[in-house]
Amino acid sequence: MTLLARGPLIDWEWIGEHLDVIRAATVEHLQLTAIAVGIGFALSMALALLALQWRWSYPLLAGFCSVLYSIPSLALFGILVPITGLGTVPAVIALVGYTLLILLRNIVAGIEGVPAPVREAADGMGFEHWRRLARVDLPLALPAIIAGLRIATVTTIGLVTITAYVGLGGYGDLIREGLRRQSAPQASTLVILGTGLSVVMAVVFDLLFVGVEHLATPWARRPRLAPIEPMEPVPVAAIPAGGSLSDG
Amino acid sequence: MKRQHIVAGLTVLILFAATACGDDDDTDASSSGNEQREGPTVLIGAQEFGESAILAEVYSQALEAQGFQTDIVEVGGFRDVLFDSFDNGDVNLAPEYVASELNFLQEGSATSDVDESLGLLQPALEERDLTALEPSAAVDTNTFVMLTDQSDELSIASLSDLAENGADLTLGAPPDCEENAFCLPGLQQVYGLDLSANFTPLELDLIPDSLEGGAIDVGVFLSTSGRLTEDQFTVLEDDQGLLAADNVFPLASQELVDAYGGDLDTALNAVSAELDTEGLIAMNARYDIDGDDPDQIAADWLADHDLT
Amino acid sequence: MGDAWSDMWTYLGSDAAWTGRNGLPLLLWAQLKLAFAAMAIATVLAIPVAAFLGHVRRGTLLAVSIVNIGRAVPTYGVVALVLPFSLRWGFGLGFWPTLVALVLLAIPPIFTNTYTGVRGVPADAVEAASGMGMRARELLRKVEVPAALPLILTGLRVSAVQVMATATLGAVVGYRCLGTPIVIGMQRQNKGPLLAASILVAALALGTDGLFALVQRLLVPWRRQPAS
Repeated sequence: MTLLARGPLIDWEWIGEHLDVIRAATVEHLQLTAIAVGIGFALSMALALLALQWRWSYPLLAGFCSVLYSIPSLALFGILVPITGLGTVPAVIALVGYTLLILLRNIVAGIEGVPAPVREAADGMGFEHWRRLARVDLPLALPAIIAGLRIATVTTIGLVTITAYVGLGGYGDLIREGLRRQSAPQASTLVILGTGLSVVMAVVFDLLFVGVEHLATPWARRPRLAPIEPMEPVPVAAIPAGGSLSDG
Repeated sequence: MKRQHIVAGLTVLILFAATACGDDDDTDASSSGNEQREGPTVLIGAQEFGESAILAEVYSQALEAQGFQTDIVEVGGFRDVLFDSFDNGDVNLAPEYVASELNFLQEGSATSDVDESLGLLQPALEERDLTALEPSAAVDTNTFVMLTDQSDELSIASLSDLAENGADLTLGAPPDCEENAFCLPGLQQVYGLDLSANFTPLELDLIPDSLEGGAIDVGVFLSTSGRLTEDQFTVLEDDQGLLAADNVFPLASQELVDAYGGDLDTALNAVSAELDTEGLIAMNARYDIDGDDPDQIAADWLADHDLT
Repeated sequence: MGDAWSDMWTYLGSDAAWTGRNGLPLLLWAQLKLAFAAMAIATVLAIPVAAFLGHVRRGTLLAVSIVNIGRAVPTYGVVALVLPFSLRWGFGLGFWPTLVALVLLAIPPIFTNTYTGVRGVPADAVEAASGMGMRARELLRKVEVPAALPLILTGLRVSAVQVMATATLGAVVGYRCLGTPIVIGMQRQNKGPLLAASILVAALALGTDGLFALVQRLLVPWRRQPAS
């Protein structure tokens, strides 16, 4: 019996009989993503406000997040598991950790990007600090923040698959099962399904965010070609999601 | 400004919408009409390999048919993690193997006689507030397997042959092989064969294909593996008796057994009485080759043996 | 956690951690080998194509899509997908499936940044050079690529860190690297090797980032200013 002769590439019958498994994986994947990005956003917002209040702290905070970001996911699990055991706790902690840097950077960059005249006008109109922040700065920083959320979400969706190694996984659980049970006819189905659905979910959310971005920035925007920046503590230039070279 | 607020709100909503769609896992516990027993939930530990999952399901469904409440806990590892789980109460029952268990607790004590080994095992278990219920006739040990072609070519038909001619071959086995008395240490001790330099840790289910694809030379299979029915695989003979009486038995916490008087024992002993090596091979074949799910496999076996 | 910590020191003090095929040095070397190979292949594949496209100013959509899709694909899945083919075609476990996945992971940042960098070279500089008689290939080599160097290096840096970190995944398909003690350790009680390897990988990833930062500073002492 040769490898790959076992079972079709995609066993639709198996899928039909195991829709509940797929649904459970989808739910778990969505939950982990939502929790991680949600907590990450709240934390980053808090950190950003801190950094904006006390400028000297920004390189420190960003540096810490940058270190966190550089740690490979499996290794981060490896460090957390002896403390927390397996399951949701280490998974969420690691996933949140990976969102912090991009969200922090983008929130700060977005708020700092508010033009001085606008700020001055608001101050002149009698807005006190926090009110101005909430009603002027944050709304204007929205495009940057949404851009950050977009990247954070798509990245998290991909990372959720690796949480299979701490007992969760979402779609990663399907991949893992497919990897483990090579002999079974549904092996390739499982891996293709797990990988494919993860990509689909990421693309769906990416498009959703693109839609939100368009709503938030009514002026027309063609696809922006942004070079990929390393996750430095202090961005080279305070422009959302790395520098941008306008297209043509 | 208002538009920005809408957008912001939408964004947050999108993020959290998913959590609202979360579903509640139904607990596995369901009584099949018999009287629900009063007592602690039976928490059955399943280790990281198919046979363990199948046996856990067998115990679970058999017990539920007798009115017990059960839950299957995936311990996410092997025997050492399982013991941890017993210790902290996450698990109070698990399918285990006599000789391997004994060697885990008292290195080198297991023999090829199940009664003798069991006699040595019980006291060791008592010290940890555990107990062994009646073992079954089903035996599952590690076997060392090579591709028939390669075994012919290198004239290796037994483990002694392997010690002579195959000391530099690659061995693929589950991650606990380095500490499993019936794996690397055992080969060393009984056959004087040290394969640790070329040992590749692999998931059990990955081994047959890896062997087939030539990525490893020797693979550890369960002696009850469904794939052993294939001609391309040859089991190396254990001519010096390394592999001992690894009968399947229910390992339970003393607390659990006491909580139910003799009822738990009776229920599980009935299962053990019916379980034999052939039956186990058949169940594994369904898992390995047909890709069936453990719960279905267990359900069918139990139905065939009138245990549900 | 105290247990794991002391287990780790015990492990590090033992022979097993430093000698033999399971020793950390060899696992580290395996990780480096895999990362280098992936970066080398990705660079050879991505830079020429991206530089050419940037030169002729075509293919923006491609560059954008590569990044978006690349970000969406889970490396773990790719490794698992390639494995059966690798086994079947005699490439074995471990190294090759992971290599494929890592190359795919490494390409987007290198590609996009090279494209953006070359394309972003000021038009008058290009005109001046071609007015001096330079042909396309010379132009690329002597003008565009050097001008794009900061961005190209940045792309390489981002890729390198990702690749070095993700090479750990090789362990799930049997490649003996630093990921192996981690993956095995998840299933065992003794978390010593797991902890040691985890910290080592983290340090490796950070070190790679630092190394590239240094290289950037040496080769491109001026800070990149974005065109606006």
